[in-house]
Amino acid sequence: MEHHLLEVDGMRVSRREDLRLMTGAGKYASDWNLPDQLHAFFLRADRAHAKIVSVNVERALKHPGVVRIYTGADAVGAGYTRPLTMLTFKGKDGMQVRQPERPVLAHGRVRCVGEPVAMVVAESALIAQDASELIEVEYEELPVVIDPEAALAPGAPQLHDNVPGNLPFEFEAGDAAATEAAFAKAAHVTRLKLAVTRVAPSPMEPRACLAAYDPRDERYTVHVHVQGVNMMRKQLAAYMNMPEDKIRVMARDVGGAFGQRSLGYPEYCMQMLAAKEIGRPVKWVSTRSEGFATDSHGRANYVKGELALDAAGNFLGLRVDWIADMGAYLTPTGPVSHLRNPSTCLTGVYRIPALYGRWRTVLTNTNPIAAYRGAGRPDVAYVIERLVTQAAVDTGVDAAELRRRNFIPPEAFPYKTPTGSTYENADLPGLLDKALKLGDWQGFAGRRSASGKAGKLRGIGISTVIENTGAGLFPKDQIEMHVAADGTVTAYTVCHSQGQGHETSFAMIIAETLGIAFDRVRVRQGDEDHPLIGNHAGGSRSTVGAGSACHVTAKKLIEEGKALAALELGVEPSQMAYANGAFRTAESKRSITLADLAKAKKFVVTAEGSFSSTFPNGCHIAEVEIDPATGVTQIASYITVDDCGRVINHAIVEGQMHGGVAQGAGQVFGEEVVYDRATGQLLTGSFADYYMPRAGLVGEISMEEHPTPSKVSPLGVKGMGESGCTASLPALTTAALDALRPLGVQHLDMPLTPSKVWSAIVAAKAGR
Amino acid sequence: MTTVKINVNGKRHVHEVEDRTLLVNFLRDTLGLTGTHIGCDTSQCGACTVNVNGRAVKSCTMLAVQAQGAKVLTIEAMARKGKLHPIQQAFTECHGLQCGFCTPGMIMATAGLLEDNPDPSDDEIIHGLEGNLCRCTGYVNIVRAVKRAAELQRGAQ
Amino acid sequence: MYQFNYVKAKSLKEAGELLAAHPDAKLLAGGMTLLPTLKARLAQPTHLIDIGSLAGIKKITLKTKKLVIGAAVSHHAVAVSDEVKKAIPALARLAGLIGDPQVRNRGTLGGSVANNDPAADYPAAVLALNAKVVTARRRIKADDYFQGMFATALEPGEIVKSIEFPLPLRAAYAKFAHPASGYAMAGVFVAQVGKHVRVAVTGAGAGVFRWSAAEKALRKNMSPAALDKLTVDATDLNEDMHASREYRANLVKVMAQRAVAQLAGQ
Repeated sequence: MEHHLLEVDGMRVSRREDLRLMTGAGKYASDWNLPDQLHAFFLRADRAHAKIVSVNVERALKHPGVVRIYTGADAVGAGYTRPLTMLTFKGKDGMQVRQPERPVLAHGRVRCVGEPVAMVVAESALIAQDASELIEVEYEELPVVIDPEAALAPGAPQLHDNVPGNLPFEFEAGDAAATEAAFAKAAHVTRLKLAVTRVAPSPMEPRACLAAYDPRDERYTVHVHVQGVNMMRKQLAAYMNMPEDKIRVMARDVGGAFGQRSLGYPEYCMQMLAAKEIGRPVKWVSTRSEGFATDSHGRANYVKGELALDAAGNFLGLRVDWIADMGAYLTPTGPVSHLRNPSTCLTGVYRIPALYGRWRTVLTNTNPIAAYRGAGRPDVAYVIERLVTQAAVDTGVDAAELRRRNFIPPEAFPYKTPTGSTYENADLPGLLDKALKLGDWQGFAGRRSASGKAGKLRGIGISTVIENTGAGLFPKDQIEMHVAADGTVTAYTVCHSQGQGHETSFAMIIAETLGIAFDRVRVRQGDEDHPLIGNHAGGSRSTVGAGSACHVTAKKLIEEGKALAALELGVEPSQMAYANGAFRTAESKRSITLADLAKAKKFVVTAEGSFSSTFPNGCHIAEVEIDPATGVTQIASYITVDDCGRVINHAIVEGQMHGGVAQGAGQVFGEEVVYDRATGQLLTGSFADYYMPRAGLVGEISMEEHPTPSKVSPLGVKGMGESGCTASLPALTTAALDALRPLGVQHLDMPLTPSKVWSAIVAAKAGR
Repeated sequence: MTTVKINVNGKRHVHEVEDRTLLVNFLRDTLGLTGTHIGCDTSQCGACTVNVNGRAVKSCTMLAVQAQGAKVLTIEAMARKGKLHPIQQAFTECHGLQCGFCTPGMIMATAGLLEDNPDPSDDEIIHGLEGNLCRCTGYVNIVRAVKRAAELQRGAQ
Repeated sequence: MYQFNYVKAKSLKEAGELLAAHPDAKLLAGGMTLLPTLKARLAQPTHLIDIGSLAGIKKITLKTKKLVIGAAVSHHAVAVSDEVKKAIPALARLAGLIGDPQVRNRGTLGGSVANNDPAADYPAAVLALNAKVVTARRRIKADDYFQGMFATALEPGEIVKSIEFPLPLRAAYAKFAHPASGYAMAGVFVAQVGKHVRVAVTGAGAGVFRWSAAEKALRKNMSPAALDKLTVDATDLNEDMHASREYRANLVKVMAQRAVAQLAGQ
C-alpha cells in the first residue's frame, strides 16, 4: 500500500503522532504519576446478586502501609449514588426513565460480579491488594437473573426496588397501526429472532486513573483516558453533585476506546473523594481481568424482526421487538444509543412505507452495557440485513437484486424516513454496482464450485447499510487557534483521539484551509488551559464536528487576519487578499505574513460550528470458506465500497475500515461475553477465555470509494469510524449462512464458532 | 528484597526490589521506562514485549530477579539520534498503528521475528505475531508493516 | 502475587535440598504457567527455586537410539534444534506450535511435563513416543508418568532432569488450537516406533491419553482412511463454552487423520 507520507522533524511518517507512539514516548493514563501519590485497590463482588450483610475492614486497616479504606457507606454518605442520565426524553405512553441508583461503592446489595465493594488506599498497589484480602464481607445470596428475556418475565428476581419488572425504560418509534396494516396485506413475511451478542470492547489499554485535589483552588485534577474531556467532566460532576469547573480532566494519549472509555466510571469518583480527604493523589490501574468484569460491555441486543413483502418483492413494512440488556445499572450512553440509533436507521437503505419498533431496556445481574463502536447502528443494520437476505432466500430472489429493488432511489434524497430522521444523500444503486463488480458477484458460482472440489463450503454475503454519524451531545464544536511569531498555527480541541489520528487529519484540514505547510500546524487535544465547548470523539463525529470546526476557524483566522493586515498596511480590509500564509493588497505588491501579524500582536481566534448528522453508507461483500471437518470459517475475500463523503486522509480512513471490519469479524466468529446462567459468574474473564481477533483473521480488504457530497460539513465529509463494524456483522454472517444453506442450515446466531458451525452441519446432515 | 543488576538499553541499573516485582514493573515504575505497556494479566496480549538476552519475552511474565545480570532492550532503545529503526519506519509508512498502545510490543515482537526469519511469508508473520494483540488496526497494516520492515532491514530498498 | 522468596539454585542437588527444606516452595524455570498462576493469586508458595538457568539441564543430546532433552530447554530451542529436526522433526514442529514466540522463548520442556496441563502440547509427544521422564531418582515410563489433570508420578521434591525420547520411525503432530488461549483444544501425536504405533491425545480430556482403537487400526493400515470408521467416545471429554465434547471428539479424529496424512511423506 502506498500513501502520502508527511515529513515531521526530518522523518517521513504517516501521522504526526506516530513518532512518539512508536518510540515509547506516548503518555497513556497509567503513565501519569504525581509526587506522594497513594494507590487504590478495589475489592469486588465475587457473586452476582447478594445482600451485603456486613463489611469488616478492621484487620485490613491494620495492614502496614494501608492509609484508608472506603466502603459503600462512604459512597452513600458523600451522595455519589446517581450517575448522569441522558434519557431525558419520554418513552412509550409517556414513560419516564426509572433510573436505578448506583452508589459508586456497592451499598447494601451487589448486583453483578465485579461491582466494587470497598476501596483500599495504601502506599503501594500491592499493599492495597494484600490488605483487600483481609476485608471480611458477609453476603446473603439472592436469586440471579442473567437472561434478559427471563428478567422481563413475571416472577423474575428483581434488581432494584424502583424498577418494577426490571424494566427501566420502554420506547417505541414508527406507526404501529400502519405497520400492522402493511403486514396484513403482505404476500410474504420473513421473521427472524436474532441475538446481537454481548461483547467486550477491549481497547488494549486497561483503565487507569490518577486523581488529585488542590485545596487552594478547591479543584480536582483527574488523569484518565477520555474520548473528550468535556464528556468525562460532565459525568463526574453529575455523579458527585458538583459544578463542572471543580474538575480538571487531563489526558494525553488514549489506548483505544470504542465508546467504552467515554464513561465516568464509579471508581474515579471514589479516588477523587479519597484524594481530597487524605490530601494525597490516589492512583489506580486496572488489570485486564478486572476490565472484563467492570469495563462496560457492548451490544447485547435481542431482537425479533419481521419484514413484509408484496408479491413483487417490494418491502411493505418492517417491525422489530427489541430487548436491550442493560446489565445491572444504566450507564449514561447505553440505553440512549441502543434506542436512538436503531430507531433513526430503522428503515436501513430501503424505502419501507411502514415501520414500527418497540424497545424494552432490561436490567440483569451482569456488567452494565454502554456504547461500543457503532452503538446500536451495527445492531440494527444486522437485523435489517439479515431479514433482507433471508427474504431473498425465502422468495428466491438474488440478494443483491432484492436490495436494488427496494433501495431509496437517488432522486428521493434528502429522504425523510417513517421514523422521522432525514437521510441527506446517497447513491445506493451506484454503490451496489461498484461493489458487485469489485466483488465479482456474478462469478461466485465458479468460486463456490472450486472450493467444493477442495472439500470446502463457500458462501457469499452482502450488506448495504447506512448510519447516522456526526451529531453530538454538546450543542457545538469550538476550536481555538493561535498563530505564533514563527508562523506556526496551533489549534486546540476538546475532541480526543483514541487512535484516529486527529493531530494529523485536523492539521491537514487547517493546513489546506490556510494554504500553509503541514509541518506549520499543531493540534492539541484536551489541553486543560484551553477549555472549550465541544463533543468527544464518539459516534464517528470527530471529523464532521471538530474537523469541520477547524476549517471554520481557519477561515475566520483569515478574515480577522485580513483586518489586522489591512490596518498594518493602511488599506481597507476589502482590498486584502490571502493566500498561502500571506496577506497581499489587491493593487500594490505589499504583503504581510501570518507570522508578521503574530509578531506584532497576540493572534488568537476562536470559532465554532454546529454540525448535524451525516449519513455514510456502504456496500460490503464477503466470501467465506468453511472446513466441514472442523467447522472453521476463513474469510476468503472482503470488499468494501463506501460513501463517507470527502476523504481527508486515505490511510486513516482505510485503517478505520480495517479495524471496524476486524471488530465485526471478531464478534461474528468468536467474541462473546459469557456469564454462567445459574450463578452469574463471568466465564470469559480474560484473554485466555475471551476470543480476540489475531493477525490473519482478516486478510487483505479491497476498498473503493463512492462519495456523494455532504453539505452538513463545509468539508463535505461524513463520519466513518464505525462503518466497518456496521457493515461487516451482516456481510460476514450472511456469507457463512450462505455457505451452510445448501446443507439445510437456515439460521445461526453469532458467534459462529467452529464448534457451533460443526454442530450445525452435523445436525443438518442428520436431519436429512 | 533482592538487589538486581540489569543492563537496560546499554545502561547498568542496580536496584533493590521485592522478589515479586515483575520485570515490566521494574522497567516502568523503577526505571520510568513507560514505553513498555501492560495490556493484560494472563500473558496473552504482548504489549509488554521486550528483548532479554537477545530473545523477545513478555516482561509481565518474568520476574525482575530472573533478569539478574541480563541485557534488556526496550522500545526506548530502538530509534537512535532522531533516526527511526527500520521496523518503526515500516510501521509508520504502512499506517500499522492507531492508538499506539500495542505498538511498542508489536515492534519488539517484530524485531524478534525478523531476527529469526529475515524474509517471512504472510503466514509466517501471522504465526509470529500470535503473541500480540491489537484492537485498532485489524492487523492488516501490521502484517504489511512487518513485510516492509523485512524489506528495509534486508536493504532491498 | 503474594510475597515469596526467590532463590536461584546453583545445582539440581541444591534445588532438591531447598524443596525438602521448604514444603511450600515451588520450582521455577520459564515460569510461563507458574507466574500467571501467582499473578492471579491462585497459589501462595513461600519460595520460588529457580532452576531455569542450570546448564546441566539445558542440553539437547542426540544418541544412537534416543534423543535426550534437558528439562530447562526452551520450546524455541527445541523448535530450531538441528538435532531435534533430524531425529524427531515432529517434536520440533510441536514445540514451534506451543503458545506464541515470546512464550516459546521462556517456557521449558520440563516445566510443561512437570505441570501436565491437560491442554499442553508436550505430554502428547512424550506419551506417543513412549519417552522416559528422567529425575534425579529414576526413569519413569510415560505410560506411568501421566496420571490425569495436573497429576503426575512425581513424588514430592522430585525434579525432572530430562526427557529421553526413543527415535521413532516416523511421527507427526496435528493441533487444533483453542481460539483464545492457544492451548490445544485437541492435539494428536501419532508415532511409529518399530512395529508399534502409538496415538496420544491432549487437550480433549482430563489429561493426555492414548487412543488405542486408532493405534490398532493404524497398525494394520497407516493411512487416514483407516480411522474413517472409528469414533471417539465423547463421554469423558472436556466441554466448555468454546467447544462441546462431541465437537472435541470429532476434532480428535480429524487431527489424528491430519497427523497420519503428514506421515505419508516421511
